[in-house]
Amino acid sequence: MLKTEELRINIGPQHPSTHGVFRMLVTVDGETLVDLKPVFGYLHRNHEQLGEVNSYLQNMPFTDRLDYFNSMINNHAYARSVEMLAGIEVPERAQYIRVIMDELSRILNHATALGFMLGDMGAWQTALLWGLREREKILDLFEYVSGARMMCNYARFGGVARDIDDYFITETRKLMDGLPHYFDDFEGLLTNSEIMLARARNIGVLPKELALSYSVTGPVLRASGVPYDIRRAEPYAVYDRFDFDIPVGTVGDVYDRFLVRIAEMRQAYRILEQAFQQLPEAGGGHINPKVKQQSLKPPIGEAYARVESPKGELGFYLVSDGTGNAYRYKVRAPSFINLTALADMCKGYKLADAMVILGSIDIVMGEVDR
Amino acid sequence: MVETFQQTFGAPLWLAVVLASGLKVTLILVGGSLGMMFLTWYERRAIAYMQDRRGPNRVGPQGSLQPIAEAIKTMTKEDTTPLEADRVVHFLAPVVMLAATVLTFAIIPWGNLFPSDLSVGVLFFVAIGGLHTLGMLMAGWGSNNKFALLGGMRGVAQMVSYEIPQVMAVIPIVLMTGTMSMQRIVESQSGFGGLGWNVFTPVGFFAFALFFVASLAEGERTPFDIPEADSEIVAGYMTEYTGMKFAVFYLANYMTNLAICFITASIFLGGGNGPGVNELGGFLGGFLSLIYFFIKALFLFFIMVLIRATVPRLRVDQLMGFAWKFLLPLVLVNILSSALWVAIIRWDQQAQIFTQWFGAPGTADAPNFVRLGVAVAVTIMINLGALVMVMGLNNRASQARMHTTDEELALGL
Amino acid sequence: MTLANRQGTGAVVPVERNDQRFRAGQGTAAGLSIVFRKFRKALFGKPNSDRSDTEGQFNVQYPEERLSLPEAYRNMPILLFDDATGHELCTSCFQCERVCPPQVIHITQAKDPATGKPVPSAAEFIIEYDTCMSCGYCAEVCPFDAIKMDHDYELSTSNHPELDVNYNRLLRPVSYYETIAPTLWNDVRESAMKKLQNNIKRRPGAIGVDHGQKVGAKAAPAAVARPADPAGAGASAVVPAAKRAPVAAIGKTMSEEKLAKLQSIRADNQAKRGGAGAPVDSAHAVEAAVGVQPDTAQVAAPDAATPGSVAPGATGPVAAVGTSMSEEKRAKLEAIRAAKRAQGGE
Repeated sequence: MLKTEELRINIGPQHPSTHGVFRMLVTVDGETLVDLKPVFGYLHRNHEQLGEVNSYLQNMPFTDRLDYFNSMINNHAYARSVEMLAGIEVPERAQYIRVIMDELSRILNHATALGFMLGDMGAWQTALLWGLREREKILDLFEYVSGARMMCNYARFGGVARDIDDYFITETRKLMDGLPHYFDDFEGLLTNSEIMLARARNIGVLPKELALSYSVTGPVLRASGVPYDIRRAEPYAVYDRFDFDIPVGTVGDVYDRFLVRIAEMRQAYRILEQAFQQLPEAGGGHINPKVKQQSLKPPIGEAYARVESPKGELGFYLVSDGTGNAYRYKVRAPSFINLTALADMCKGYKLADAMVILGSIDIVMGEVDR
Repeated sequence: MVETFQQTFGAPLWLAVVLASGLKVTLILVGGSLGMMFLTWYERRAIAYMQDRRGPNRVGPQGSLQPIAEAIKTMTKEDTTPLEADRVVHFLAPVVMLAATVLTFAIIPWGNLFPSDLSVGVLFFVAIGGLHTLGMLMAGWGSNNKFALLGGMRGVAQMVSYEIPQVMAVIPIVLMTGTMSMQRIVESQSGFGGLGWNVFTPVGFFAFALFFVASLAEGERTPFDIPEADSEIVAGYMTEYTGMKFAVFYLANYMTNLAICFITASIFLGGGNGPGVNELGGFLGGFLSLIYFFIKALFLFFIMVLIRATVPRLRVDQLMGFAWKFLLPLVLVNILSSALWVAIIRWDQQAQIFTQWFGAPGTADAPNFVRLGVAVAVTIMINLGALVMVMGLNNRASQARMHTTDEELALGL
Repeated sequence: MTLANRQGTGAVVPVERNDQRFRAGQGTAAGLSIVFRKFRKALFGKPNSDRSDTEGQFNVQYPEERLSLPEAYRNMPILLFDDATGHELCTSCFQCERVCPPQVIHITQAKDPATGKPVPSAAEFIIEYDTCMSCGYCAEVCPFDAIKMDHDYELSTSNHPELDVNYNRLLRPVSYYETIAPTLWNDVRESAMKKLQNNIKRRPGAIGVDHGQKVGAKAAPAAVARPADPAGAGASAVVPAAKRAPVAAIGKTMSEEKLAKLQSIRADNQAKRGGAGAPVDSAHAVEAAVGVQPDTAQVAAPDAATPGSVAPGATGPVAAVGTSMSEEKRAKLEAIRAAKRAQGGE
């Protein structure tokens, strides 16, 4: 047998497909990946320490910067955590508004995540740009309702910052008229393509047991065949009122993750439709007026609230010592925890597969490094 | 052209040859560069429309001067060489690439105009195309960069593998026309009112498809753009190049694509042949043939762009598998069926039995449609059968799991 | 209706992997056909306007074409002053400074020069635009509706210190805010104006009308004259209004809007090219109204003429209030420099 030599390659932190300042220390034998060591921390911004210095309200805009694709969901999760800590009631209309925003951002996240994944695979950004097109439309709506496209800073303790109006609803309806076409186009583009199948099927397999032992969550876990969705497992907001399916994969490869995300976009669409039907009249108010937003001093205690972010379980852990800022503040970032499984998912595949597997995890470095 | 210089200007033979050659070379170089510029713009606009965008539309009318702006930009950029690089090899790599590309333009028939009519034109194209490999390897090795080295190695493996199906895909045409000269091949397709293109025969069609796919790999187009896979190995062998050297690589790349489109159009799509070219004749006919030629080439390039916009790239091992397990068997079968085609159509004295069954072989004026029909049926059957069989085999293989386990790795299997 | 009233249903659905036995390129061909359809639609279709469209060209040709911004759009905070009286709405209550997450707001409260007691007005107000995270909390908590979020997003500059914006450059007339967010202002107008009237009573002399340029308390006439002056106030209100159409609708610009924008851009360009034209007018108007030295009035002209600077109405009078010798000298120096710069520019 021919003697070969292993080659160590440093992929990142400046590399076109590491999704930010992420670095992979890769050992390859020819093109086959022998070892992979993820290195991160280049984007550390002291988020958790800042959260302990800032007041509860002041920390809200910082949560936007965690997973900058889904600031709406980050806000929701953080607000939920503080509400749990301080025992704040949330009006029903606000709950519905939060659900609408969450599902819109789930669609935009999956649209871009899948686009980037296909970009990593070498499909020349076509799917990505179609996704970005839909994302822009959704961001326009976010901008209308919250004032900013990406850093929405929309949730408040006990509700949301501004109520949605008829214009928002009609525009979202219009958007939703177009969404199924986008889903169909996107699905038809590559789902059955032979090259896509060759690149995605049985690549980056994460077995069910391994996924559970890494405590991987979100679409990555569901693609491995575990039907775990916090919206169903521990219904928050008003998620127990909607009919929606939980798509799961059977193999746990890149292709399953791709399919699960497409199916989740369709389910998000279903939830949106129901949410608009059930949305209570404006009389209910969009925010609990009794809450003192700026000088909130929750009673001594701790709270952990989690939501199903498009990337997995996003949780905020807060400990209050009765003062105006948190004593301890911890973020359970889904990207970070899902990323730990990368090395096991990549070993034994080719170098080119590592990029696709990384793309299929759907990481955002803002959330990984915090 | 040599005669023109001799007769009109009274130049001695050696001077006439030098002048004529110089003029031709200049025209080809300028034409190739302009063609590359046009192609980059064309590709970007087309791909933009596919992605619901508009593409470059700022510099010049509809952005058509964008490539010039970019050329100026790349020329003014700093030209760096890595400290540890092999400076000579690093410098020569783009030169070799470009030289190899420009040489292929020597045998391209521009409509009815031929820069040079080599008797082994097809062979020349393939042989010179092989020089690319050298440039890639030089760039990959000379850069002293791991990404570049990987890209260079990938490039070499890819080029060497795909040259074989590429050459073999042309053999049916050589068998049918009985010549390797590009001029002769183009002329042979002028029948049927300018529509006697090779692609309209079953053998020719299969050969066209196979040649085009193999050429995509030769031109590093998606789904075979593995040597420069930007999402994996940054820019492949071009990683350490900046400024004009980088631009030269791009120039070579796009000129190769242009050459591939031209060659494919000439061999399979009748080159400049089309309805009305022979009837008009003379200068007008030549002009019309040139237009036909460009339309065909641009159509082929559009298909390249469409493929690029749609599909992901293959992985290295899949790329090799595709060349050796899929293209090569089909190409070989196609050679067999083209031999049968030639036999059924042409054999008269050599095989009396064909004449007994199907009548005498037809001429250009009175084709024997019985023979033609039988040949079409037989070749389609053989080729389709082979296609189904090879696809079935490949499908079965792809169903099996391709994952190497840790244990296998540890054992060095 | 409590949360547990309705129970949502749904199943766990394994995704369809489409493991068909035979693949002969039909999947890739389907993808190619979709992409080709997109190409056809984008090439021959009309540019797209509706949110439900998924085909066509979606670019916004930025400098010529702009998306209209929703009223709630928030970019950077600005401060408001009343058109009629020139009084600033800010009372330096420090709410915004306290809530600001990146802590970029710095306020100095004004003091009554006679008694030394604090007055409900800010002497200096600085916002570090470079560090501001545009969260909008300052505008949200302000009890006097004095601080609002601006819609101007073209803030790039090569001069970094310029992004520490002082009171002088933060101020915008209420009419400007009304053009960018009519309904939002409508909701709060009455209470804001009422509170302002109350505060004016507690402001002795000219405090609260001279935009933080605490060069002297004698500048009251200038401030009063400024809003009345048609050129200054007109320009201040009109330019931003035309620049950003105050349309609540989001989405692509409609044809009428486009037309309006085109005209506004042309007007902008003209103003920039003309340089001296409008601002000189305004400066003359100020001069006429206030009767200050011509050279100090000239300070207003180049200042207002610099592209992207705040509306002339806001800056013009400021320059017109130089009284103390050193201030005047400085102003002259600046005027000369600005004139030179303008000459060089033209």
